[in-house]
Amino acid sequence: MPLINMPDFAAKLLDDFAARGALRIDTPVIQPAAPFLDMAGEDLRRRIFLTESETGESLCLRPEFTIPVCLRHIESATGTPRRYCYLGEVFRQRRDGENEFYQAGIEDLGETAIAAADARAVNDAVQIIAGLLPGRPLAVTLGDQAVFEAVVRALGLPGGWQKRLIQAFGNTAQIEQILLRLASPQPVTGFAPDLATLLGGDEAALIEHIDRTMQETGYSTNASRSPREIATRLKEKLSLAETRLDGTALLLLCEFLSLELPLGEASAALAGFADAAGLSLKGALAGFEERVAALADLGIDLSRITYRAAFGRPLDYYTGLVFEVTRAGDGAVLAGGGRFDRLLTLLGAREDIPAVGFSLWLDRIEQARAR
Amino acid sequence: MTITIALPSKGRMKEDAAAIFERAGLPIVAVGNERSYRGRVEGWDDIEIAFLSASEISREIGNGSVDFGVTGEDLVREGLAEADRRMEIAARLGFGHADVVVAVPEIWLDVDSMADLGDVAADFRARHGRRLAIATKYWRLTQQFFSGSHGIQLYRIVESLGATEGAPASGSADIIVDITSTGSTLKANHLKVLPDGVILKSEACLVRARKQAHEGDQRIGRIIEAIRGAL
Repeated sequence: MPLINMPDFAAKLLDDFAARGALRIDTPVIQPAAPFLDMAGEDLRRRIFLTESETGESLCLRPEFTIPVCLRHIESATGTPRRYCYLGEVFRQRRDGENEFYQAGIEDLGETAIAAADARAVNDAVQIIAGLLPGRPLAVTLGDQAVFEAVVRALGLPGGWQKRLIQAFGNTAQIEQILLRLASPQPVTGFAPDLATLLGGDEAALIEHIDRTMQETGYSTNASRSPREIATRLKEKLSLAETRLDGTALLLLCEFLSLELPLGEASAALAGFADAAGLSLKGALAGFEERVAALADLGIDLSRITYRAAFGRPLDYYTGLVFEVTRAGDGAVLAGGGRFDRLLTLLGAREDIPAVGFSLWLDRIEQARAR
Repeated sequence: MTITIALPSKGRMKEDAAAIFERAGLPIVAVGNERSYRGRVEGWDDIEIAFLSASEISREIGNGSVDFGVTGEDLVREGLAEADRRMEIAARLGFGHADVVVAVPEIWLDVDSMADLGDVAADFRARHGRRLAIATKYWRLTQQFFSGSHGIQLYRIVESLGATEGAPASGSADIIVDITSTGSTLKANHLKVLPDGVILKSEACLVRARKQAHEGDQRIGRIIEAIRGAL
């Protein structure tokens, strides 16, 4: 369906996608809103265009393609690996720029050669943009959720803090807040005397107490948080508050988060960091190195890619690679991508389906072409 | 230009607002009979009173179709995007006090702060296969507070237009964001307010729509001064 407001390079883009073996998939503009809100969080609500069907179902104008493409894949129950591509309009309420604009991209679903698939996604995004912006140097920023998680785990921080940090990865302000609180933990006080006694005792009695109270006060013990869940977290929280945190762990975490260097030097720097800090990051570093090697095999210029340790997306379905492509010296993101191995099962796929992909901002590419 | 002031059309709010205007030397009389939805201020021919429901008042302020309104701050902040750009709180009137708060079941012994709630929300889907559900009629305030102030993203809002306090016990939501004045309804439903979960301390306010026409209009300042003087 050719639309007259499509970017003039749309046809070339589709040829590029086809040449890369991607199958074009179309998804309706009007989508059920729940999957987007479930995956991205309530904050998305004010940035999408919501409406309601006659029967009260919450619908929205397609705010992006990854979730619809994954849903379509799950529905059609085809095998993997699959390489899908899309090109179409998306709708978002933005402060800057139009509310409707074109995006195009590729999603690799079910490719089990992780490093190679990651490298291919980065390389495809860079090559396609380079083809559209000949002669203009590009810059790539790359981050890795898996490396950050490995560092947090290896530092031996209490479980609750690990979760908070991993959850916040990519959100600098929130990470800083957490580090601040980690540096000066707050003791937990103010329990009623009878509860304080229970807390000193065994967990079974505590669970029993919570269970009884819930029943007496008319709360279902299985509709929301269960007595066991509350008791376990309460114990965890108390032990957390008593833990004296090691100052060096915090310093190491800050040191790690400040790493920013050309990708070609990143593996060695990460290995050096792990050695000096006495941390074992073997699995995550091996994956990282493998990806760097795969990128080098594809002939991409590693000095153009910057690894930034703190770069991530605070969405819980991102699991490894994240990257952005910009014009060198310019902040506008022309392509964004990453690995989202957790998304398909969250959307209802029966088995784990590893996934990586990228999305091109065609309006920004169009602007960059005009300059 | 006639200045339009929107006042609550019924109940305690109407009486309390009328009393303050009276003390401020702006006595309000209904046009026609007592139940009329229009009024005027004795001695001020260029002021018109429109009696509206409290939530309509916030909307009309947002549209700029009235110049002033007396309504709860909660309704203005919930009803208007970028509220501070579109209105100014000219005076806090000292009645209609109520807080918009985050309340969780009392039995959530491990949850005493928004940070605790953030932890629970982060884990919720893995444990329960769905997001933490918040029953509220305050969509905007909830989003601003959870996402903006506390970095909590992983929750879903369940719209609730009445008896919100009952939602956690009935299982239709896990926690609530609601307005409370004495806290007794929360207590009766075995809910507790999180100490750092007070989103807004609301009360009835004299709200001015930010309108170009107000600049240089001395009556605007005089009305505000008169009301402030009566508090």
